[in-house]
Amino acid sequence: MPDPASQIEDLRAQFERDLAAATGEAAVRGVRDRYLSRKGGLLSALLKALGTAPADERPRLGRLANELKEDIETQLGARLSAVEQSRPPSGAVDVTLPGRIPTLGHRHPLTLLRERIEAIFTRFGFLVIEGPELEDDYHNFEALNMPADHPARDMQDTLYLETPMRSAVGSQATLLRTHTSGMQIRYMEQHPPPVRLIAPGRVYRRDSFDLTHTPMFTQVEGLVVGEDVTLADLKGTLDAFARELFGADRRVRFRPSFFPYTEPSAELDISCGACAGTGCATCKRTGWLEILGSGMVHPAVFEAVGYDPERYTGFAFGMGIERVAQLKWGVEDIRLFYENDLRFLEQFPL
Amino acid sequence: MPDDPERVATDISLRGFEVASVEHGRPAVIDFEITANRPDCLSHLGLAREASAIWRLPLRLPDVAIPAAGAAPPLEVDVEDRELCPRYCAQMFEVSVQPSPEWLRTRLEAAGVRPINNVVDVTNYVLLELGQPMHAFDYAKLTGRRIIVRRARPGERLRTLDGFDRQLDPDMLVIADGERPTAIGGVMGGQDSEIDRSTTVIVLESATFQAVSVRRTSKRLGLKTEASIRFERGADIAAPLVGIARAAALLAQIGAGRPLGEVIDRYSAPQRPRAIVLRGARIARVLGQDVPAGEVPGLLEPLGFQVQATAAGDAAWAVTVPSFRVDVAREIDLIEEVGRHYGFDRLPVTFPALSAAQPPPDPAIARERLVRQVLTAAGFSEAMTFAFIERQAALPFCDLGETPAAIANPLSEKFAVLRPSLLPGLVDACAHNRRRARKDIRLFETGSRFTSAGETRSAAFAWCGAAADPHWSSAPRTVDFFDVKGAVEQFCAAFGISAGFATADRPWLMAGRAAAVTAQPGGEVMHLGVFGQLLQAIAEARGFPRGEEMYVAEIDLDVVARLAADDALRVESLPRFPSIVRDIAIVIDEVLPAAAVRGTIRSAAPETLVSIAEFDRYKGKGVPEGRVSLALRLTFRATDRTLTDEDAEVATDGIVKALAAAHAAERR
Ligand SMILES: [Zn+2]
Repeated sequence: MPDPASQIEDLRAQFERDLAAATGEAAVRGVRDRYLSRKGGLLSALLKALGTAPADERPRLGRLANELKEDIETQLGARLSAVEQSRPPSGAVDVTLPGRIPTLGHRHPLTLLRERIEAIFTRFGFLVIEGPELEDDYHNFEALNMPADHPARDMQDTLYLETPMRSAVGSQATLLRTHTSGMQIRYMEQHPPPVRLIAPGRVYRRDSFDLTHTPMFTQVEGLVVGEDVTLADLKGTLDAFARELFGADRRVRFRPSFFPYTEPSAELDISCGACAGTGCATCKRTGWLEILGSGMVHPAVFEAVGYDPERYTGFAFGMGIERVAQLKWGVEDIRLFYENDLRFLEQFPL
Repeated sequence: MPDDPERVATDISLRGFEVASVEHGRPAVIDFEITANRPDCLSHLGLAREASAIWRLPLRLPDVAIPAAGAAPPLEVDVEDRELCPRYCAQMFEVSVQPSPEWLRTRLEAAGVRPINNVVDVTNYVLLELGQPMHAFDYAKLTGRRIIVRRARPGERLRTLDGFDRQLDPDMLVIADGERPTAIGGVMGGQDSEIDRSTTVIVLESATFQAVSVRRTSKRLGLKTEASIRFERGADIAAPLVGIARAAALLAQIGAGRPLGEVIDRYSAPQRPRAIVLRGARIARVLGQDVPAGEVPGLLEPLGFQVQATAAGDAAWAVTVPSFRVDVAREIDLIEEVGRHYGFDRLPVTFPALSAAQPPPDPAIARERLVRQVLTAAGFSEAMTFAFIERQAALPFCDLGETPAAIANPLSEKFAVLRPSLLPGLVDACAHNRRRARKDIRLFETGSRFTSAGETRSAAFAWCGAAADPHWSSAPRTVDFFDVKGAVEQFCAAFGISAGFATADRPWLMAGRAAAVTAQPGGEVMHLGVFGQLLQAIAEARGFPRGEEMYVAEIDLDVVARLAADDALRVESLPRFPSIVRDIAIVIDEVLPAAAVRGTIRSAAPETLVSIAEFDRYKGKGVPEGRVSLALRLTFRATDRTLTDEDAEVATDGIVKALAAAHAAERR
């Protein structure tokens, strides 16, 4: 038979563990019943067991058992009054149950980004303009120094309408615009310099549909025209834009390039965010990511809209928002933007 | 020049030549993407010239010494169309056709060209080295010992070197012998005059062809070649002679052959080199940086420009453009060259000054932003779908007598027509989500749609599944007509439009569950759009489960613009006297529209009636078959006094009598 004194100590330890584990009024009452119940309680079971101890031990053991009983009663009493005091008032609710959340839809990530870009340029003093998605050859190509049979037209494989149709501005359209530049031409036809605007919108190209291409995508183009607008101004404007959109720690560089409607032309690269510019798979080991095309407006474009190219200079730029969104949010498959899977859309902030 | 190929690649890329790849090997191979304006750099010499300007190294030109010639057999060369072929040079060679030596084959292979035989390899080598396309004819196979450069005759055909039989037309320039075409000028040679092991005498053609003509021919034949890519971007008028000289030197060097006779050069209208004035002040005006006058010639001369300071006091130069720079036509092109080699990175970073206020913004932008606000607040997430869709998806959404606008050259059948409505895209998006076990879907889109009215803007939404997010406190309810109507009403309210609703009939909406939305500002009825339950067959055809309901709405934003344009809001003063409320319940015919009841009430009520609200509609026990009990809450208020109970009783009695008379309504 085990040492009765240690049995008493074991029961005390067990009680203290049980009491500590009990949360809430019902659980504490459960502990009381388990230990103090006259029939089948653990304490009365212990007392009964002590009856078989040798006679000379009994007084000491009895004293110890009584101490334990008093202890248990005191502790239980204290806990019970504590839990009774914390009992919720009548009419109380369970604040941990889920609330009724008003259903709010999510804006599309391309809208989020477009509005962010618009906000930056609006702060820079730019006007936002929108235009028709159906265009004519003149506004989409000719006025932009891309006459018929110009090889640069291959850069923008075009979707044509089977029959001409009325555009949103009432013109006779023959094609789906390949960029939003047509709207800039229309704006310049109607307003004298100075000009400082961005033209966001959907554009269409006869492009493949894969991880990095969609036949429809969203562009933001910009145009600044004035008497003293320079390539240095283009650098300053786009540098400020890129750092604000991507983070002040990113570096930018301008690489000469070619577009028929700008001269000189430049592409803007930002340092790769994935590798901090040391080279990785995202940036094809170059440390740089191309985000937009830009340049000084070609004098032929000014001539087409009736601006004096001797008096005015200007710069223009254009970027695909999908690509910027892919880089910014780590979206590997561009097609996700057009699948409208709610599991994707709901990941973006309201 | 740096040893590291990566450095070489980067430095050249910063001068405007994008790097496609760098292969480290022996030799290292750097693949550049050449922009359409620089055909001169579709050659090693062109890029070497750029390199010499970058690293200030002398440019070493290839050996073009022509060895002594033997006597030539007879050959007559006539250029009939000098516009399409400004210069045609030909040189005959005596050759022995064999494989090329190892070094030549290795270099060609490094550049991605398959070696064929020494003669063809030399023409390819010169193409890569100098950028001048050339073609070798077997002299023995030229009927009549003649070469005629002319337009193709109707019905003429040619089997080109790639083995295809080509139909020619008079817009195409051909190189013909005395009888028939033997090559398509600037595009590809023909099989019949191809050289082979038995060839002993060749005619080596080195010419320039008009860019537009080559481009059209290449497009029409669907035939893009190394030659056509170069000619369609513009040819160097001086290159044909240099090309022949270089080929002659190479053929001699590898022991493949020697020239026979003189070079034949048909160049009837020699072109003078272009001269352009470049002003230092203009450079600063465009680049935003004063490039020191002393630096300008040093930036242009290594690129082949001749720079002569003009007599004028200001810094200005007369710049002669080398014939290979077909892209340089005006001063701005020279400024680009100065900027490119001065370095864009050295230009300052400034911000353009504002000099005038902007015109007011296009209200359409704020309007579409409000559309997004209202619809996201109503629980709809924004979708973006393609403007071109499958014909089958578009057809159900065309109004009677309309067909969808077709794209002439669609990418595939999936993108064949322009969407007549935003709904087909949303239906597909709902089906996509539903296939991924998503039951409760609310999606909207704003964008252009294309009908016989042309391009118009609309906002559309689709709703299926639960009417509200599930919550432990209440039983779920599926979306119904009135959820969607509520969203439409909210939408109209956001634009201050008081809309009217009437039963509508549209081929894509379920009969009896379709409504048209109209507004009547000043009497003219304007159609805002329609909404209702989508025809189940349409949803099902797009992969949406049978038996599940989808509700849709589409609102014309151009009409919203016309209705919301008038910003003439005047605030009403707040009521000074309390209102009094009376509830009435009437039993009416179940098909009587609520709008008719309201109309009767309004015409029977005194001016003090300020609102009518239906608050219960009941059918069943206690109400006869075919009838319905409708409970209405009427609110009365006067502007000049507190109404009495009696006022309200009199008004209510009058209304009930009118309802009984007009609709046989019984008060309950
Ligand atoms: Zn990287």
